[in-house]
Amino acid sequence: MSQIKRLVLDVLKPHEPTMVDVASAIGDIQNVDGVNMSLYEVDQQTENVKITVEGSDVDYELVLRTIENLGGVVHSVDEIIAGKRIVEEEETLHDRG
Amino acid sequence: MSFNIEAGRYVILGSVDGLLATLGIIVGVSVTSAQNSVIVSAAFGGAIALALTNGLGSYLAESTIEYGKLSITERSLLRDLSDTYIESQTRRKIMRDAFSSGAASFIGSLVPISPYLFSVGSTIASVSLSLASLVILGVYAGYISKRSYLISVIKMVGLGTLIVIAVQLLRVGHLVR
Repeated sequence: MSQIKRLVLDVLKPHEPTMVDVASAIGDIQNVDGVNMSLYEVDQQTENVKITVEGSDVDYELVLRTIENLGGVVHSVDEIIAGKRIVEEEETLHDRG
Repeated sequence: MSFNIEAGRYVILGSVDGLLATLGIIVGVSVTSAQNSVIVSAAFGGAIALALTNGLGSYLAESTIEYGKLSITERSLLRDLSDTYIESQTRRKIMRDAFSSGAASFIGSLVPISPYLFSVGSTIASVSLSLASLVILGVYAGYISKRSYLISVIKMVGLGTLIVIAVQLLRVGHLVR
């Protein structure tokens, strides 16, 4: 199976554990080189975050289990890059329109 | 910081409970001119009962509240949080708070008993030591709440004094012969 190089997830999580705790936990996973987490919505009980995980061979199931163990729910996989190298999305006429 | 604040609640609650309730027992029993051994026996019995009931009571209360909070979070997330890190932290907090409450209660109880254990047993010594302990607890409460240390001490010592006076005024012991 191809190696996952980048994963972008839309996650709903409770306030505790904090974003710092969740990012640290994902960052500690083997083959994960870096984690970017940004908050885009918050309410009294929960917060919506975008999590970008990059690495040489990211284990999706392990990332999912880590997030769920910390109380998060993955709503969607917004972007995924797999293969031998990172391939960025190309803008087409349709996107510019 | 949040750990100190949460732990502080049960330390203060348990200590004050153990200290003043046991002091009440000592003051009440000493009215009957009982021997020191009787006073110590009654006070220790009270101390153990208080420690167990406070610990158990805190366990039951914290379980109810913390699992209630957890279920609110579960509803917001639309998922079950059983067997997660969050649930394990919840269980840990419940046990820690129950232990803090029971242990603080027992340690607080030892303060008024201690003069009798070191053969300087007198009600005055117990009361003095208890009031001194309330000063320390008042300072701790001031540190936790980040409010005036003086006001916290006055509250602690003032309420403690009121309880001692109340027990003295009631003096039920000498009515039962």
